[in-house]
Amino acid sequence: MNVLVVYCHPVPTSFVAAVRDRVVEALARRGHDVRVEDLYAQGFEPSLTADERLAHREIGVEPELLEYATNLRWCDSIVFVYPTWWSGMPATLKGWVDRVWARGVAWDLPPGASTVRGRLRNVRRLAIVTTHGSARRINWLEGQAGRGTVFRSLRVLCHPLVRTTWLALYRMDHIDDSVRAKFLDKVERRFLRW
Amino acid sequence: MKALVVVAHPVSTSLTRAAADRAVTGLESAGHEVTLLDLYAEGFAPAMSHGERVAYHSETPLISSDAIRAAELVRSSQILVFAYPTWWSDAPAIMRGFFERVFIPSVAFELDPGAGKVKPIMDHVSHLVGISTYGSPWTYVKIMHDNGRRMIMRALRMCTGRRTKTTWLGLYHIDDADDAVLTAFLERVENTMAGLS
Repeated sequence: MNVLVVYCHPVPTSFVAAVRDRVVEALARRGHDVRVEDLYAQGFEPSLTADERLAHREIGVEPELLEYATNLRWCDSIVFVYPTWWSGMPATLKGWVDRVWARGVAWDLPPGASTVRGRLRNVRRLAIVTTHGSARRINWLEGQAGRGTVFRSLRVLCHPLVRTTWLALYRMDHIDDSVRAKFLDKVERRFLRW
Repeated sequence: MKALVVVAHPVSTSLTRAAADRAVTGLESAGHEVTLLDLYAEGFAPAMSHGERVAYHSETPLISSDAIRAAELVRSSQILVFAYPTWWSDAPAIMRGFFERVFIPSVAFELDPGAGKVKPIMDHVSHLVGISTYGSPWTYVKIMHDNGRRMIMRALRMCTGRRTKTTWLGLYHIDDADDAVLTAFLERVENTMAGLS
């Protein structure tokens, strides 16, 4: 399978970076074709511009985003790897959605239709691997925004039978290294079975 | 009271921007002292930087001038208003960026490493208001989880005081709305803000 790993963390030595490495290694060992979007390292600009907003009903993305759009059309699965901040995605990752999931890439509006039609039927699996500072119960009370955005809003544009995987580590700052190591092993085992 | 209106929309002639202006008018008519923070117009950095992430758990987590100014406004305000268009059932990137860069330890909460707890410190906030426009009808917005609203009304609400009041002003199915509906929405925003006390 063609797997797109969308990774977002500002610090290259972070635990989330270690998570990404285990995901990528496991997928490669399993024989999948993997492409990684390292949004911070690639200098991804998160804010949708005024021009993009005014042209959002037109087809395509800005020239500098063409490769991002190509990768999104290329993949069969997307794995999101990010830290949960304010119960959801970091701004940079949300910006990737705001700017790359454009008309003609992720959706279409056929003449006469009143609702958008998903164009990402190529995407049959969606996964989120994320870390939380807070406990599971707090994140649940906060509303799990990241999960909602990917598994609801983005999901409807993918294949109708798309499968979802959720792997989360809670209380990041209060657990010891052995718990973190266990989580990394769990992530690896999961993606070795993909 | 002091009020901070944070608005995120790239187009200065947008309905969201107009709604923010009407919120300011309403708040001022009620005698509040209002600051409008237009994230796009002020070139607010949209995402947490490497340096900010490293400083996050330090004694001085605020290191950038735009975030420092925003944090001062937050600390001195009793009314916080957020206005944005809902995209992909969530706030635009730059509004999420405002949350991750400004609502940090020493502004929104304190981290207590010993007890492993987060202590909310925004009990000076008496009103939390969200204003958003949606392309989808209300039912669809609910099915999609309305994640931006959750970020403000639940996650941020947890950092405010026990008696903090919340207000949500949403305009749904905006593409099908005619001028009368848009005008009515703007009036509702102004009137609701004028009624905050």
